Amino acid sequence: MITAGIDIGSVATKAVILSGHFILATEVMPSGSQPKLTAERALAKSLQTAKMERNQLEYLVSTGYGRRVVDFGDKNITEISACAQGIRFLKAPMGQIMTVIDLGGQDIKVISLDERGEVRDFVMNDKCAAGTGRFMEVIARALELRLEELGTYSKLSKKRIDINATCTVFAESEVVSLLAQDVGKEDIIAGIHRSIAERIATMGKKIGLKEVVAFTGGGAKNKGFCQILEEELGLTLHIPKIPQFVNALGAAVAAKAKK
Amino acid sequence: MKTDFEKRYQRAPLHRPAEKVSARVRAASEDLAARLHKQPDRLVSLPYYEELFTTEKRKKELQILNRKVVGTYCYFAPEELIYASGDVPIRLCSGHSDTITTAEELLPRDICPLVKSSFGFPILGDGWIDACDVIALPTSCDAKTKLGEYLADYLPVWMINLPKIKNYDGLKEYWLKEIKLFLHKLEELNGKKVKAPELKNALQLLKRRAELYRAMYELRLAHPLLLSHQDLLMVVQSSFYDDLPRWINQTELLYNEMKKASATGKYAAKGKRLMITGAPIIWPNFKILNIITELGSTVVADDMCAGHQRLWDYAEPDEWTLEGMLEAVAARYIFPSVCPCFTTSYDRIDKILHLAREAKVDGVIYHDLRLCQIFDMEKDLVVKVLKENQIPVITLHTDYGQEDVEQLRTRIEAFLEMIL
Ligand code: SF4
Ligand code: SF4
Repeated sequence: MITAGIDIGSVATKAVILSGHFILATEVMPSGSQPKLTAERALAKSLQTAKMERNQLEYLVSTGYGRRVVDFGDKNITEISACAQGIRFLKAPMGQIMTVIDLGGQDIKVISLDERGEVRDFVMNDKCAAGTGRFMEVIARALELRLEELGTYSKLSKKRIDINATCTVFAESEVVSLLAQDVGKEDIIAGIHRSIAERIATMGKKIGLKEVVAFTGGGAKNKGFCQILEEELGLTLHIPKIPQFVNALGAAVAAKAKK
Repeated sequence: MKTDFEKRYQRAPLHRPAEKVSARVRAASEDLAARLHKQPDRLVSLPYYEELFTTEKRKKELQILNRKVVGTYCYFAPEELIYASGDVPIRLCSGHSDTITTAEELLPRDICPLVKSSFGFPILGDGWIDACDVIALPTSCDAKTKLGEYLADYLPVWMINLPKIKNYDGLKEYWLKEIKLFLHKLEELNGKKVKAPELKNALQLLKRRAELYRAMYELRLAHPLLLSHQDLLMVVQSSFYDDLPRWINQTELLYNEMKKASATGKYAAKGKRLMITGAPIIWPNFKILNIITELGSTVVADDMCAGHQRLWDYAEPDEWTLEGMLEAVAARYIFPSVCPCFTTSYDRIDKILHLAREAKVDGVIYHDLRLCQIFDMEKDLVVKVLKENQIPVITLHTDYGQEDVEQLRTRIEAFLEMIL
């Protein structure tokens, strides 16, 4: 049975084509201002990679903020349940995953799972974007770096800098003043990473960080950040090979139920 | 009016009439009314209440009748005494987001939207406050306490010194005196004393209101969609403005229609049964309720001071002396209240558990209004106890703006998926 999942996030749109237990294709592109069109394009491209026709797809589920704009899908689910189903499909060598931390473009979620892998509870940041992918973008821009470079720089940090601001706008001005004091970019980035990690840790403690803890979403691609988050939480995180696609995958898994 | 002592430091009232803002305020009410209008199988008695939000008829009537209007805030301004004096209470707590920017010209940005929204109206010279002669403002939370200082630029403000600790001794020693002082101020305003039979009449009227509401509420528990929660809050909140005897008559008609309609069996709850607790949800800020409806679930209960709590309680009119009745009134505002401005949240937790069980809810939504510290600080224990009682709960931290509707939808939808 061939199914597809599309995750229309605030920053990126992801598509996954699934055939039973096999992932046939993944595709990611910026969501842009026309999420519906982007979703169609992401689906078309992933079908191309999978060498499939649209009519071979038996069921399509959308998720993410733009889930409701997809009118060519069969169903939509929230990214919370998509994330849970995606991680359940991927599994971890360290044992059963009981908690998922998801760092997306616009929000941070900590999802607590039960023994069956179903959502037991979850917390999300409120509408403030501090600590999310968008926030990292703003910081990268202030430092004149590309988003992908943040992790590499962060690992080079030698000196601990504490960033106090928890608001995107204030953090940006704090970064600017640190630069004016000639503080190294790598130390600033590590400081920013630590402040986000602390925030996630607080959210995690609220619902309990039962191990194994998985880390997913675009944020998990940043290796420097993963390291700091592990230090902050005092545990080893399971980071799936395709952290960014877990929600889209979860949608494709949900599609297998065809209802 | 201000005493000479108070007049030493003055600020001229800020006036910023803005037709654009006023038009947006009207549009917000009209949009919500139109939306409620479209609900399937809606009862025909309901449009009556919409008019109190979408037209100025009642305001005009108040001007023509030439009765004294006491603008009130919160749960605690004693309606019994206002009615007994022959005056009209109008509750000024507002849910409009469009007046917030207006208020921010004077008020700090970091206070709760309810207070900012309400304060936008005197600056605009619009809304119900226009019809008021005085304002009765309880010192409930910090924001309300300080709001009095700003409102005093526009109208005489009677602060009501509300105790923060609930206890019987304090009630007699102190809060009863405060209630008497309030009565005295009313008597001064009207130039006549309130007599025992007048107060008794007022108590009886408010008891009728409570009994009617209770009957309606109980009927609705069995057939929740007789009134969507939006409609229920509309009915409750229209009583903030309407002429009380007329409201009671109308609501009797509504109740009779509900009874008839319940026989059709069409009005069972859809989807999950939910309860809302937390900061007041006031017309037209019904965004959370609208999302829940769109997601196919039903709110069946709430414990809010602008909802269930407002009409449920009353002071028993079985006392004969003025003193006895005043005591009943004093007690009625302290003990049944679950407002978090009191020091402990235990009563509130009991009440939430009771309401949640009675309404057989599948989950509770905690409405945490941004910058309202007291609800935020009570949240932790409330959430903990609910979870211990196997009642799923989700916190929504939001304000009056519309920009987070999609985020809220995701949270609520995920919550509904979770409590499958
Ligand atoms: S919750 Fe309490 S303080 Fe807030 S508006 Fe209601 S009665 Fe007033
Ligand atoms: S109790 Fe909260 S919501 Fe009500 S006025 Fe005070 S700060 Fe605002």
